[in-house]
Amino acid sequence: MFQDDKIKNDFSYLPGQCVMVSHLGFGECFFAVSSSPTKKEYIEVSVMRLGKVTKALHECEEGDVLGVRGPYGNNFDVKGWMGKNLVFIGGGIGQAPLRSLINYVVDNRKKYDKLDVIYGARSTKDLCFKPEFEKLEKRKDVNVHLSIDKKEKGWSKFVGFVPDNLLKVKPSPKNTAAITCGPPVMIKFVIQNLLKLGFSADQIFTTLEMRMKCGIGKCGRCNIGNLYVCKDGPVFSYDQLKNLIGEM
Amino acid sequence: MEDLTLPKNKLTEFIKKIQLDYTIFAPTSNDGIILYKQIKNPSEIILDFCNSRVPPKSLLFKQTETMFRFKLGVKAEISQIEFSNSKSVIFGIRPCDAKSFSILDHVFEDDSIDPYYVTKRKNTTLIGLSCTQPGVNCFCTSMDGGPTNPDDVDILFTNIGEKYFVEINNEKGKNLINKVSLFSKATTDDKKKKQQVEEKSKGAITRNMKTKGVKEKLDKIFENEIWKKISLKCLSCGICTYQCPTCHCFDIQDELTLTNGARIRVWDTCMNPEYTLHASGHNPRPARMNRTRNRVYHKFNYYPKNYSVIACVGCGRCINDCPVNIDIIDIIDQVKEVKA
Amino acid sequence: MVDQNKLREEINKIVARDNVKYVIGWEKGTYGFQVTPLFATCSEDVDKLIFNPLCIHNLAVFPMLGEKLPLRNGAKEDTRKIGLIVKGCDSRAIVQIIQEKGLDRDDLVIIGIPCTGVIDPKKINERFPNQTKTVDVEEDGKNFIIKTDEGKHKVPKEKFLMNKCKSCEFPNPIIYDVLIGKEIKSAKKPDYKETTSFEKKKLEDKWDYWEKQFERCIRCYACRNVCPLCYCNECMVDQLNPQWVRRSVNISENTAWNIMRAFHLAGRCVDCGECERACPAGIPLTELNKKLEKDVLELFDYKPGINVEEKPLLSMFKPDDPEDFIL
Repeated sequence: MFQDDKIKNDFSYLPGQCVMVSHLGFGECFFAVSSSPTKKEYIEVSVMRLGKVTKALHECEEGDVLGVRGPYGNNFDVKGWMGKNLVFIGGGIGQAPLRSLINYVVDNRKKYDKLDVIYGARSTKDLCFKPEFEKLEKRKDVNVHLSIDKKEKGWSKFVGFVPDNLLKVKPSPKNTAAITCGPPVMIKFVIQNLLKLGFSADQIFTTLEMRMKCGIGKCGRCNIGNLYVCKDGPVFSYDQLKNLIGEM
Repeated sequence: MEDLTLPKNKLTEFIKKIQLDYTIFAPTSNDGIILYKQIKNPSEIILDFCNSRVPPKSLLFKQTETMFRFKLGVKAEISQIEFSNSKSVIFGIRPCDAKSFSILDHVFEDDSIDPYYVTKRKNTTLIGLSCTQPGVNCFCTSMDGGPTNPDDVDILFTNIGEKYFVEINNEKGKNLINKVSLFSKATTDDKKKKQQVEEKSKGAITRNMKTKGVKEKLDKIFENEIWKKISLKCLSCGICTYQCPTCHCFDIQDELTLTNGARIRVWDTCMNPEYTLHASGHNPRPARMNRTRNRVYHKFNYYPKNYSVIACVGCGRCINDCPVNIDIIDIIDQVKEVKA
Repeated sequence: MVDQNKLREEINKIVARDNVKYVIGWEKGTYGFQVTPLFATCSEDVDKLIFNPLCIHNLAVFPMLGEKLPLRNGAKEDTRKIGLIVKGCDSRAIVQIIQEKGLDRDDLVIIGIPCTGVIDPKKINERFPNQTKTVDVEEDGKNFIIKTDEGKHKVPKEKFLMNKCKSCEFPNPIIYDVLIGKEIKSAKKPDYKETTSFEKKKLEDKWDYWEKQFERCIRCYACRNVCPLCYCNECMVDQLNPQWVRRSVNISENTAWNIMRAFHLAGRCVDCGECERACPAGIPLTELNKKLEKDVLELFDYKPGINVEEKPLLSMFKPDDPEDFIL
């Protein structure tokens, strides 16, 4: 929550955009805002505990003060997609940026057509946002397709990788936009399968991540070819990516 | 603007006069190594040199820059850095290094303004010194530049014998010159002498890089075998990036001593294996091949795509200092020759 | 002078082997006195191979640089050997790495060349500046014959040899599979005169001298990357947790870096001089390493990189090791 009311009211962002969260003395990290802008009281970021800064963030307590700068990057085309069917394909912790988008779309449910949420993780332990998915599954106007990679006792839903679940769900490409996020290898196969299902490159969107330092396209680190993920992304259409030379 | 001349024996007086209003950075000798440093006495200035080891980008884009300070505690305090408006002069900068500032301006001024670089850039006047002894590996003439080119400096001094031929490029330069009354109008003879120096210097540059069509060719050969071959001998040491006047990559770190700390920005190098290492362990550029290729592409393909200018000024420092003789001119020659 | 044809003949035999990935040697550089490492995989490559007094690089750094990348499904790791041409000092680096188990002796095919000394690039470029075309250098007894654009020049070897070569105790490769040329008898002994005279200086003078040098350090880590014995998977300066040396570049951190690196090489540095040659700031790094080399010799009577069977100095002890620093 922002300390200053004026900043709180001025800070506006759209799903897909990111912020740099600072824990003074430890450093900064670039996170996709995982809460929807329809919730005005606060912003949420989902932090995985991996290194120096994220460990310190996990050890923070309620009331601790952190620095935030942003919003950076481009956003999902929520306005352009109004009236379309949307398919969200998330894997593991890649669900964080998609959560902002899904919640925004669900809060503006009437503006969008059919919604399919495909989400999977390695195991039930790795599934994120479980309570929210339970609520989402109860809704009649959203189709939720969960999966885990390996068989587990008590799991009756799909078992297998997310790209395979996508083939099983078989969403129609007509008037649809597909948005995916997850580990680089999953994104690669999801895009392959979407193309197999008849989606064209400009109907497929993804949000990428890179090691970031400045977040504003100056430190040179997060480039894929001549595009910077912090500035020209993190949201890209497959149309942009397929002809881009560079390493992902 | 009018061309002027300054007698050589008045140079010290000139420096002393402008020192009253400007901080002067000039080439100095450090155990024989030429570096641009702040001078107190004009006698510290070295003018008989080819080029400095570390490029003068280190004066505007400092290697270690404090972004802000902070004090940790129940209520953390952040103290902003005060940007001073004091004026400086970089005296004796070569036209190639001055061009590098025009190239770096895109990075630090487009989109969002980097105050650390931009404040210094605005407050710095560049007094260039034409090259009369280009180095073996200089190739500025291939990169839209020249040893006596005044385009990217505010004032250009050219040694024409007993005097310096002085060209003023813009208002900033004019403002400085107007503060000192040691200059005389240049005669036609002076202008002739400058042209002769220009021809001689251009003629002394023996290496050239054929840059026509390189950007388009690079688009086609990203997966080519030559990148593996070229990078086999690369040590990923980073000398080329630190010595390069147009390299601008940096790292940001928080540095603490107990509760007092600062967020600092330091030069970083894309040749470092952990440069693009994600926290998840995934590394888009794990091998030297990826990194060497990325460096060449950044300079000759990505930067031109974003800003329409090749991010290389032809200073030759990377060729001079590479411990294993990886030669950028040789690489571009290979790029042009290889079958797409 | 080494017989270039014999050298190429032997290398061709090795390159032709199925179990050899490539042979690392030298070829002509792109300008002046430059010579550059060559990775020969076929006989066309071997035709470019040369060996002359300009071949200064310590090629022992390359076998440790090969990246082990994740393999595609079904692909097998490339376990072929690497061929390497070494001079005396280079072979000592290889011996040291094998002692430390950084490499297996079987990973390498070593071609040894007894070395009569290499030319100091700084000295030769000062004497013959601005050479654009590649220069030929040959040995002629106690002289070098330098063929530049301006003509042939005869210069005395003593004046242009690297300082390390003047007191080289091991001109012959310590280990090799093939030896090109005859072994050289050397009566030279390592020279610690400068180190000893520096030791006698006052502490303030020593600090003044080194502060002036370390101030120029730009922390490019070229000294580390060009050193065959700096092959840690994660160097201490890259670690963030804990952070041993800060990223900021100032006299305090520069001093820490340079002195810590010298200590990490104690008993391991073979004095090949590559660090000093590569340093773009002209810091006399071999002076630091030589001091530690002298201390190791005096305290433990140990010379790094001499015997493959020996254990590395700091991982073994002898009952008569000095104990005067233990309370």
